[in-house]
Amino acid sequence: MRILLIIYLITMVAAATAAPTINIRIHNHLFYPSKINIPADTKIKLLIDNQDPTAEEFESYELNREKVIPGHSKGVIFIGPLPVGEYPFFGEFFPKTAQGRVIVK
Amino acid sequence: MLINSFIIILREVFEAALIVSVLLALCQILQLPRRYFLLSFMLGSILAIVYAINISSISMLFEGVGQEIINASLHFTSFICLQILIFSIASSSSSKMILWAIVGSFSAAFVREGFEIIIYILGFVGIEHLFDSVVAGSFIGAGVGFSIGVFFYYFIVSFNPLNGLRLGLFVLILVSGAMIIQALQLLIQADIIISQVPLWNSSGWVRESSVTGQILYALLGYESTPSPIQVIAYSASLLFSSTLAIKSLNAYKMRIKE
Repeated sequence: MRILLIIYLITMVAAATAAPTINIRIHNHLFYPSKINIPADTKIKLLIDNQDPTAEEFESYELNREKVIPGHSKGVIFIGPLPVGEYPFFGEFFPKTAQGRVIVK
Repeated sequence: MLINSFIIILREVFEAALIVSVLLALCQILQLPRRYFLLSFMLGSILAIVYAINISSISMLFEGVGQEIINASLHFTSFICLQILIFSIASSSSSKMILWAIVGSFSAAFVREGFEIIIYILGFVGIEHLFDSVVAGSFIGAGVGFSIGVFFYYFIVSFNPLNGLRLGLFVLILVSGAMIIQALQLLIQADIIISQVPLWNSSGWVRESSVTGQILYALLGYESTPSPIQVIAYSASLLFSSTLAIKSLNAYKMRIKE
């Protein structure tokens, strides 16, 4: 029981650590910026601002992330810590245009 | 846009249809009234509309992760209701409990998948050159998803009651595990549970974006890069649900012998 409590507290403290924020804009079904550079092994907060009237779903199989961002609204997604590599993401509702990638260096 | 709408709506409807078809089949096998499905449908629809209308404000709750917390809660609600359902089959006197568990899991599935469909389609209202193809694609996608559900229902009830119950419970065990793994994924995304290094990467075998990957996601909660906490919780869920299901199956066998 005590071990579980310690694991829980470590998890909560680690989770509560503030993460750097990167702003992403969705406009005309495109992500701005479409390439996001982040450092390896760092947790990042993505603040996605959907400026289109239509909803968009931020999706990435590589990042294991999926979230609906309603039209004219914002959404927050945490990613990382990640190893070095490239992680594509796309807008599921407009996949032909809404594409981007997270580049971890 | 037509093909994209078709795929999006098919995926959402398929996930809900899978659960609903099994629940309907279990009602048929256990000879329970099916009027509760109408109640579940109405409850699920109302909650999905309320959720969709308020999605912007809900998303910004809890420092921007309100959507993840609500969705994870819906997954946990489904999981709990499915466990109550599996457990209650053991007792012949708990048909009310079974029915309320069905209402809970049906409604939660409906809200979860329904709100995304509503948001998606409503977003195109007023965009004349896209709206028609979105609606057409959505209808075709919903029709195919619904047809798969109907097929699955008749597939389960085509067996004798005992084997039908076995198959239905087997699917519910898998779906319960999927609920847990998806709920944990949402809590990781919301930074409530710490993100861990994945235990393995099976995307070389089955990509999550492939048709097989999507079907496995709906049925098993398939993740190509699961974290240790997801694997542990999934295994615990399978063990727990299987234990309940074996007890219920044994009790059901005793009942039909009497």
